Amino acid sequence: MRSISREPTVVLVLAVLVGLMVMFIIYPQVQVVIVPGLDGYFSFLGGQTWIKPLFNSIQIMLASTTTAVTLGFVYAYSMVYSEMPWKPFFRIVGILPLLSPPFVVAVSYILLFGPRGVISYGVFGQSPLILGFYGLWGVQTIAFFPFAYQLIADVLARNDPRLEQAARNLGAGTWNVFRTITLPLARPGLAAAILTTAIYILEDFGNPLLIAGQFTVLPSQAYSLIEGFGDFTGAAAVSTILLVLALVLYVAKLRIEGNRSYVTISGKATSIPRPPVPRALTAACFIACSILAVFILMVYGVLIVSALTVAFPNNLALTSKNFEYLGSHSQSLINTLKFGGIAAIICALFALLLAFLVQRKEWWGRQAVDFMAIMPAAVPGLFFGIGYATAFNQHIFDWIDRGMLITLSMIFWNIPVGYQAAIAGLQQIDRSLDEAATSLGASSLRGFRDILFPLLRSALLTGFVTAFVRAVTTLSVVIFLFTPGTTLATITIFQLVTDFDWGGATAFTVSVIGMAVIVLSGVYFISGRRAGLQRTAGG
Amino acid sequence: MDKPQIDTFSPALSRREFLRWLGAGVGLAAAGGILAACAPAAPAVAPTVAATVAPKASGSISIYSALNQSTNDAFFAAFKAAVPGIDVQLLPLAAAGALQTRIIAEKASPKGDIFIGGDRSFHDVLGKQGLLENYVSPNAGAIPTGFKDPNGFWTGWYVGIFAFVYNTSRLAAEMGGKKPATWDDLLDPAWKGKIIMPSPITTGGGYVFLATQVFRFNKDEAKAMDYMKKFHANVAQYVDSAPNGIQFVAQGQFVGGPNWAHDILTSKAQGNPIDLAVIADTGFEVGSVSIIKGGPNTAAAKPFVDWMLTKDAGALNVKLSNRVSLVPGVPPAPGAPTLDTVKLVNYDGVWAADNQKRLTQLWQTTVGL
Repeated sequence: MRSISREPTVVLVLAVLVGLMVMFIIYPQVQVVIVPGLDGYFSFLGGQTWIKPLFNSIQIMLASTTTAVTLGFVYAYSMVYSEMPWKPFFRIVGILPLLSPPFVVAVSYILLFGPRGVISYGVFGQSPLILGFYGLWGVQTIAFFPFAYQLIADVLARNDPRLEQAARNLGAGTWNVFRTITLPLARPGLAAAILTTAIYILEDFGNPLLIAGQFTVLPSQAYSLIEGFGDFTGAAAVSTILLVLALVLYVAKLRIEGNRSYVTISGKATSIPRPPVPRALTAACFIACSILAVFILMVYGVLIVSALTVAFPNNLALTSKNFEYLGSHSQSLINTLKFGGIAAIICALFALLLAFLVQRKEWWGRQAVDFMAIMPAAVPGLFFGIGYATAFNQHIFDWIDRGMLITLSMIFWNIPVGYQAAIAGLQQIDRSLDEAATSLGASSLRGFRDILFPLLRSALLTGFVTAFVRAVTTLSVVIFLFTPGTTLATITIFQLVTDFDWGGATAFTVSVIGMAVIVLSGVYFISGRRAGLQRTAGG
Repeated sequence: MDKPQIDTFSPALSRREFLRWLGAGVGLAAAGGILAACAPAAPAVAPTVAATVAPKASGSISIYSALNQSTNDAFFAAFKAAVPGIDVQLLPLAAAGALQTRIIAEKASPKGDIFIGGDRSFHDVLGKQGLLENYVSPNAGAIPTGFKDPNGFWTGWYVGIFAFVYNTSRLAAEMGGKKPATWDDLLDPAWKGKIIMPSPITTGGGYVFLATQVFRFNKDEAKAMDYMKKFHANVAQYVDSAPNGIQFVAQGQFVGGPNWAHDILTSKAQGNPIDLAVIADTGFEVGSVSIIKGGPNTAAAKPFVDWMLTKDAGALNVKLSNRVSLVPGVPPAPGAPTLDTVKLVNYDGVWAADNQKRLTQLWQTTVGL
């Protein structure tokens, strides 16, 4: 590995990226961390109200991460290895749980599985008290498995089929190939998936607020300190505890990853197809994914039915009045798509370039920047927004307008997934590939552009997709930043929810989700075609 | 073939050279970083900005409103009609705590003129931090003492009363249609497992309920906790957000639960099968208004506060939000309790706020949560 000191361009690019991260991740966050002051921390920590939520947070994180990553792995394996039908359908359905604007989607779980739920009571005659640990566990598993699915699918897709073919030719059965080749090669993706899923579950407050009942976790405690009692100081202290927890997880991830090599893409041509999986396994994959898909579609189906009826579940008469609000508030929907779209593109490219510089180059402070790129996942959106409002609401920053600031917050808040996907991908690509380019005279940035960038297209896609859906559905980041002209769809939904206008809120939510699905389908379609063309050209 | 040779064979760059590059890089990064930061997003958002941030005519005020959206539109239209010449830039967010935090976060360069809605405690914190403008409206004289800040930073203008929401069909079927009239009625074993309660730890409303019990027993905390313990036995679940409690009752998930009267009526007006039971000796919040210090247009903010404290504005708020106006002579919303008809507990908001941590902890140990 070359030292970067000989490549001024790389140094420059790196300095720009790190400078931006310091300005838009570290600087705003410092504004939150210093709020309580030493006395504030002592008095808050001494009060001990945080101990129980801390244990609850860790407990739900361990349980939900385990189930979400397992589910994500099964889904990713089915998508990449099996020959099951309807893959494009499953791809969109697998992203849907990420598209849940707060305060709305979680309600449909309760409508389905609550004490008088359509399924739990209507079908089975049971009245489960789902508010609490078990309810939250279930919801978080579904809500966060898409992160794991995407990160693992990226890595699995890059596994070299020749290794698996070789193992098969030497007589290994499907299970043996899976255990000794597929699973170990997926380790970078698994580590990335475990880390990001765990951190995201740790910082989520939308679902706990609705379904955790008395099982208070740290982010919902922070939210209620602000919203219930105006205790900004205590809330900032809780946010700092979450940051410390994220640091612990990060160190743990470095341990999991270890120092092995996961290189599977080397310079030689790979046109061999994957060894076929047994038909029974494909069928099992199809059934597993279908069950999950039905479940997810049910949850979103409730939203659609609610949007089209007078008052679900009490009055099921059809109506279109719920969509009336859409016309007068279309500006918020347009803003959402505009800011979210721009942010997602920049975010995905930024994450990929950063991952390249961190994984491929050697320089002092690499690990610190690596953590910086993961940190936003650990900052509850609320505090990311507060940090921005404090840090950039100064006269010297008056030239940053609000639309731009909101876009910037979406870019930097959503870096972690795209970054993790790119890092995991780079770990699988042999350095000799890009080194070949540089020794033939290309600059290392050119090598990145021409060699690695095409190989990392799926990681880029993952970064775009997650950044887009999270930007479109975030409420907590933007409630401290929006202005009358830059209002967003989630703000409108929140206002409708507080007016108890369930029909209007679901109609707006369905419209947001619908538009996002259209955008994502378009992106998948284009990238699928391009991948197809390249395969043909290459083979 | 120059470059690879340098990479492979030449000795490492001298330290000086490296530092020179680094210095140049950092210098450029500072400039480039700023450019890169604004370049990508700028073209797309430029049009909206011109409308919001650009200094407008001197007669525009920026209002941070925690009122419900259904109240906002008609309420501010009425103001514009009543006081011509002052335009309103509305920032609606029905979450008073988030708005309060936003005002704190923006204190270096305040963007709002008026903070409207939300309990007095949210305004009081800002006043104590020196973020509010001292203004006693000439119309504030009519507001009863105890409902306005003795220091003149905020003025109460409506009262939200804590009451009880029930699902009409489930109450008829399972409770014989008998709705509670006192808090003690909720200790009836018939209510066991049927109550959804906003958490006293995580919701403002839940804490008002807890403090109400303390005031009801004349601050005899042992008796209050004894009540809370018996009540806890009847609670099916606690919920982390008060409006969700109403929504669950509307869905029929639970039979009933303590909650805010005005929210219950608002949800009922949406066609939900719920109703309100007024409870004796209940607690309340004092919805307030204040002027943010150093905002863009403090001069125009004062006529707004004056207007809000008129009878007309009070009546309009009652009509739109079902809350109880503090302006004397404003009639209540149909079905809503009023200050005359409901028996309020002697609720000391300042004492309740000061003892919040201690009381919630005491409650937690009492009920074992």
